[in-house]
Amino acid sequence: MAKVDIRNLNVWFKENHVLKDVSLTIRENAVTAVMGPSGCGKTTLIRAINRMNDVISGSRSSGELFIDGKNVYDSNTNVYELRRKVGMVFQKPNPFPKSIFENVAFGVKIHKMATDKKLSEIVQTSLTEAALWDEVRNRLNDSAFSLSGGQQQRLCIARALAVEPEVILMDEPCSALDPAATAKIEGLMRSLSERYTVIVVTHNLQQAARVSDFTAFMYVGQLIEYGDTNSVFENPKNETTEKYITGKFG
Amino acid sequence: MSRLLDRGLEELTTTLLKMGDVAEKTVRTATAGFMDGKSVSDDVRELSELLLMMTVSVEDKAFELIMRYQPVASDLRIINSYMKIAYDFERFGRYSLDISLTHQKFAYSEKCAYAWDLMETLIDKVMLMIRTSIEALKDNNGEMTKSLAKIENEVDDMFSAYLDKLSKAPPDAKCTICTALVAKYLERIADHATYVGEAIYYIANGQKISLR
Repeated sequence: MAKVDIRNLNVWFKENHVLKDVSLTIRENAVTAVMGPSGCGKTTLIRAINRMNDVISGSRSSGELFIDGKNVYDSNTNVYELRRKVGMVFQKPNPFPKSIFENVAFGVKIHKMATDKKLSEIVQTSLTEAALWDEVRNRLNDSAFSLSGGQQQRLCIARALAVEPEVILMDEPCSALDPAATAKIEGLMRSLSERYTVIVVTHNLQQAARVSDFTAFMYVGQLIEYGDTNSVFENPKNETTEKYITGKFG
Repeated sequence: MSRLLDRGLEELTTTLLKMGDVAEKTVRTATAGFMDGKSVSDDVRELSELLLMMTVSVEDKAFELIMRYQPVASDLRIINSYMKIAYDFERFGRYSLDISLTHQKFAYSEKCAYAWDLMETLIDKVMLMIRTSIEALKDNNGEMTKSLAKIENEVDDMFSAYLDKLSKAPPDAKCTICTALVAKYLERIADHATYVGEAIYYIANGQKISLR
């Protein structure tokens, strides 16, 4: 079932036409990987889903982007609510300068989603879902910065989960992590896809092959190929995709 | 600039093409020995063992390339198919050895002459299939492999008809067993030649087809 339906999406940053007529339907409860060379527009594409591009000066867009059938670019869209529904995890772990507990509770408080009593329960659930609870349960008041890089990234995932999102966008979430921490995040992506729609931008082809159900390949702002991951990596339909994933570019 | 993987693939291709030539030579030696009434099992055994070693070499190299480069798309299809083809070539060798050992065990008999035309035709067809599959491999030509299906059907039909004939009026026990077994080995070699063709088609087109 489609969760995100992108139709003829164009994005410009001032005169720079970054996304060119992209149409893509993203399946619910699956991991979709978006890959492509630097500057191809993959980050812009996922930032379009929760309208994070709006905060960039000089950005404009055309086309439609539906989540559960509602166009998020409609003028009456509540952007704050949209960003609660569509959480984001960034390339570099970016915990707030607060305790582990407060990092997870932060969004819940902002959105006034729970009483103090309920808050502890949400924090525990979110940390458990992010596969971090067992490692931090006895140090919830410690600074988030006391955690390792991989733990910080899982904390950021827990923070995103706490506000009950439906879609989780991940922008190169493992690029700053070692292989062990990467493996944990990748396992997490798979388990999260049972409840959430996960969209991950990655430079790492093997990571896309490992974790995703569907793969989109972008090149110079265009969607070149999109299909189930096995097909894209075994027998890509497009010659540019073949050249990119086999390292024959240039 | 060529990729590091390309060097490995080149090495793998070279080994596999050499294997193809050895496999063809092995079948030719065994079948010629059979037709000429000469014992060639030592030569065939040596060639068969060489094929076995080359198969191991292809597998080792293929695993190394997978481990080092995590190939995908056409690179992965090539490596996967080359491993299969190496196994098929190794089977050519094994069945050739079976042919020469069967011939040696039952010895050449004048009474088998009635089967010679059929055996000669079978051998010609199998050798044509082997040559076609090796040429297709050299040229990476998926379309060329399609002709294998027709010949393979002919081999199957001839084998089946021959068994029917033997079951109705067995002319000589030794000849019956010997020629039936050799025909079976040839039929299996033909099967493996089609498997080679299927693997080449997969490399070239990314589609798994059946030529049987």
